[in-house]
Amino acid sequence: MPDMRFAPPNPIRIADRSSGMNAVSVRSYNERLVLSLLLQNKGMSRMDIGKRTGLSAQTVSVIVRSLAQEGLVAKGEAQRGRMGPPTIPLSLNPEGAYAVGISLGHRQMDVVLIDFVGDVKFHTSMPLPSNDAISNHSELVETVRQAMASLPGQQNGPIAGVGLAIPEDRDELALGPDGMAERFETIRQEIETALAVEVYVQNDVTAAAGGESMFGAAKSLDNYLFFYLGARLHHRLVLNHQILQSPNQISSPIGLIELESRLQGKGLPSEELWIRGGQWPDFGDVRQIWINDCLAVLSNAVGSASQFLPVKTVIISSYAPKRVCDEIASALADMQPRIEVKVGGLAISPKALGAASLPFSSKFTVS
Amino acid sequence: MLKTVLCFGDSNTNGQEPGGTLMDRFGPAERWPGVLRRELGPDWYVLEEGLSGRTTVHNDPIEGDLKNGRAYLRPCLMSHAPIDLVILMLGTNDLKARFGQPASEVAMGIGCLIHDIKELAPGPMGEVPEILVVAPPPMLDDIGEWEGIFSGAQPKSHKLAHDFEVIADSLEVHFFDAGTVISSDPADGFHISRDAHEVLGVRLAQEINVIGWGG
Repeated sequence: MPDMRFAPPNPIRIADRSSGMNAVSVRSYNERLVLSLLLQNKGMSRMDIGKRTGLSAQTVSVIVRSLAQEGLVAKGEAQRGRMGPPTIPLSLNPEGAYAVGISLGHRQMDVVLIDFVGDVKFHTSMPLPSNDAISNHSELVETVRQAMASLPGQQNGPIAGVGLAIPEDRDELALGPDGMAERFETIRQEIETALAVEVYVQNDVTAAAGGESMFGAAKSLDNYLFFYLGARLHHRLVLNHQILQSPNQISSPIGLIELESRLQGKGLPSEELWIRGGQWPDFGDVRQIWINDCLAVLSNAVGSASQFLPVKTVIISSYAPKRVCDEIASALADMQPRIEVKVGGLAISPKALGAASLPFSSKFTVS
Repeated sequence: MLKTVLCFGDSNTNGQEPGGTLMDRFGPAERWPGVLRRELGPDWYVLEEGLSGRTTVHNDPIEGDLKNGRAYLRPCLMSHAPIDLVILMLGTNDLKARFGQPASEVAMGIGCLIHDIKELAPGPMGEVPEILVVAPPPMLDDIGEWEGIFSGAQPKSHKLAHDFEVIADSLEVHFFDAGTVISSDPADGFHISRDAHEVLGVRLAQEINVIGWGG
């Protein structure tokens, strides 16, 4: 029996440093712990990381060094504090990893590419393929390919994967063309086959909430109530960082689809509602009445939930114009004075950004 | 609280001048442990333990058993405990032709020293101290009359940093590659100049500071 102390060295990570290739098969729990912390906080010193994770200074040193060599973590300029020696702030390297997110809606599909800190590097919307099209999703696959190719240079290496946000709410699915759900089911396979990337699938509203937790307004929150105002109004409860989804969950019809039908009833144009990053024209009093109806539903839900749950924060996420979201949030805060109401921080397409956060959470964080 | 760092190494920790004799040694403030003393300031007590010709674990058949770093390390640690940080910077002498060692075996020797430190636990309250492995800068191709003694060592010396890092990762200790900030001096091809001592001392002080010390 050889003395195992003197067996061949077995580094924590088996990275082939000479070629710069990332040969990590399984990322260690401690590495994920450090990356999770850096996803939440910028500019931490090694000592901060040690304190927050309970890892020894030597273990933090080894992990930080290997993450830096891999390009996932970047060292900042030395900071001289008022006391003690200067520290080196550590942050995620935005260019260290990228992910593609796809959200599938009843009218359109959104594709985004984000960097490691959640900045959107590519975004496009496209209509759902028509029902009679034989090609299933060739255009979508092509767009994902474009998104990946939009990275500077030959940076396909750091693509962590593709996230897919799929609607499951029955009423939401009913808004789309027949057979939509069935078509969605095949997308994962198609992308994996065509592009040789890993695809992670999640419920769309849950993905949007996950995106808020990772990159958006819920970064520092353990508990919150999440509303997604899309075609319909959806909600999720987040407790201790876990996004809970009830099997009996139903969405409320008071969403943009309701606003659309009211606008159409008055002969007003409604196309702008569905444009990501668009600005609504003057809808007259239809807008205010609809907002009030939304608020009634939201306030009722928040009021009931806060009777049972330790929730002090509400996040409202939507691709509706920021002005509209701010207005709803501030009115809701007036109606529920004990609750803090925040507008979601994911611009353009919250579901697609949330989808893009899936490969990151799967590969780099502790669950 | 005063903290103690032990600088354990060979002639480049001793401060031997490139191309000089054993008697030619940089001054206390010039050699890197002295620079470290200046940079770290009054909170640190810097101990110099650099011996010319020191190997990691080998009894040198020519220079003598006293050059064996492993044999000396434990009594040395005991003499100076409690120690907060041990810096290990050696390995070049293991590349002498008489030992016939590849770089990976030199790294195993460093690993051996790390195990001994951990086993002895000469840190405060009998804990394991922080350990910082420093890979020496690679040798230059031209080492003049030393060629016979170090025959074949130069290419191996370029591998030390990688193999030391692997062992430092495996045993979870701090690591710094001196070759990223200094080079060996052309006067003899493997000792470091006064300027290099200055740069190394400053950089190691930064490495020590970023470890973070509770107080």
